[in-house]
Amino acid sequence: MRRTLTSFPRRLLASAREFSTSSEKIVASVLFERLPVVVPKIEPSVYAFQEFSFRWQQQYSRRYPDEFLNKSNSRAQGEYQMEYVPAPRTTEADKANDRKRLYLLLYGKLHGSSDGKLVWHFPQKVYDSEDTLRKCAETALQSVLGDLSHTYFVGNAPMCHLAVQPAEKAPELGYKQFFFKSQVIATNKFKIGKCQDFVWVTKDELLEFFPEHAEFLNKMIIS
Amino acid sequence: MFRIARTKTLESLAHQFVQRCAVSGTAKGKAKLKDGPKKRMKVSTKKGGKGAVDPDPSARPTSRQDQEKYKLYEQCINAPTPVRYLKPKDMKREAEREKLGLESKDRKREKEILKKGGRQAMGVPDEPLMMGTPGFDLISLGLVDADKIPKYELTVEDGRRLAKEYSRVLMRKHRARQAAETNLLRMKKEAIEALPEKLKQAALVPDLTPFPKERFMATLTPPIEGYIDKVKEAAMRSSGAQKIR
Repeated sequence: MRRTLTSFPRRLLASAREFSTSSEKIVASVLFERLPVVVPKIEPSVYAFQEFSFRWQQQYSRRYPDEFLNKSNSRAQGEYQMEYVPAPRTTEADKANDRKRLYLLLYGKLHGSSDGKLVWHFPQKVYDSEDTLRKCAETALQSVLGDLSHTYFVGNAPMCHLAVQPAEKAPELGYKQFFFKSQVIATNKFKIGKCQDFVWVTKDELLEFFPEHAEFLNKMIIS
Repeated sequence: MFRIARTKTLESLAHQFVQRCAVSGTAKGKAKLKDGPKKRMKVSTKKGGKGAVDPDPSARPTSRQDQEKYKLYEQCINAPTPVRYLKPKDMKREAEREKLGLESKDRKREKEILKKGGRQAMGVPDEPLMMGTPGFDLISLGLVDADKIPKYELTVEDGRRLAKEYSRVLMRKHRARQAAETNLLRMKKEAIEALPEKLKQAALVPDLTPFPKERFMATLTPPIEGYIDKVKEAAMRSSGAQKIR
């Protein structure tokens, strides 16, 4: 399935960090998404019915003479004429499958995912002693993006949580991960730093990155 | 409630059905029908005296402009439709009138239209019609795959079939969306429950800051960079020109 055909949101994945050892760790991570820029595709059957009802109505609607219909046109003021050529719905970044540029996937919300020793994850930070978990999440995002002027955190509460079970060899590495929702506002380019690599993905691609959490991600991300 | 009629003239019959006020026992507003039953209001124009009928264009060609004006009005009032709509009762009535040899003006016009080619000639062809301004309709913008649209005739049965399919698809999507949103809410509640006490209290505080006004809705086509500047420039130019005049 071509990515351009989807209207999936894309989220930002952060790079891996080392965790301090403590009994009950709480990690605040950020689901940084860019909302869809273009309307998704319409189902053919839906369009067919709309077309049918339009034509059916046209059959029974009265045909008025042209002079009557043009009366309002003749009274209009002369406005500036501008040529408008609509921009195409798929961009070059889409065609090139370039995951670094935010231009990609006009349909989708974008994620960014960064690489630290081949471990992909969302921007996250262990909770130390800030006031609220949301502030912790904000600092996490700030460390990746640089500044938060083009972000908007939705609400004070996390949107979902994931309890990561400790591995057998390292029992202290169990922690609870709380996701905060944050949205991109009014910008196309981000300067992503403090990580080896980053990527903007749609929901399907995200499932490739985290196959073990597929069910959870499906529930967390609607589209 | 019927009252015994005193005489059998039209006035008194009408009088007998006048409502009686409960308190005073008289007709409402104490208006008595001295003039008999009310006559229908007639639109009388200043020209032509009282009770005049609308001026007949063929009888009074005052000026060519007036003639054209009245012709336009007539065309608008009696605008034709490609297919005439008749309820079943009306259709039966028409059929009976045909047997008697009477034919209404609408029926005559319908026959003329059919002679000329029916609705196909009047702009509702059998092929799919383009909706909207050319270049901006959904197919050319890429929102719909033109080859995947199911084929259909313009009949009632096909219409019903398409409507069922439309309803099925949209309702399925709606229900999926509702389920997903309920799920999200549930997960949010669970996440808040899983927080330690202090953080939970902080998370339960509602965030009433207004959301940013730069958060835009999805549109049909993506925004073009630099377009708003061009628009402003053109507007300045046109408004500047007007001021000079």
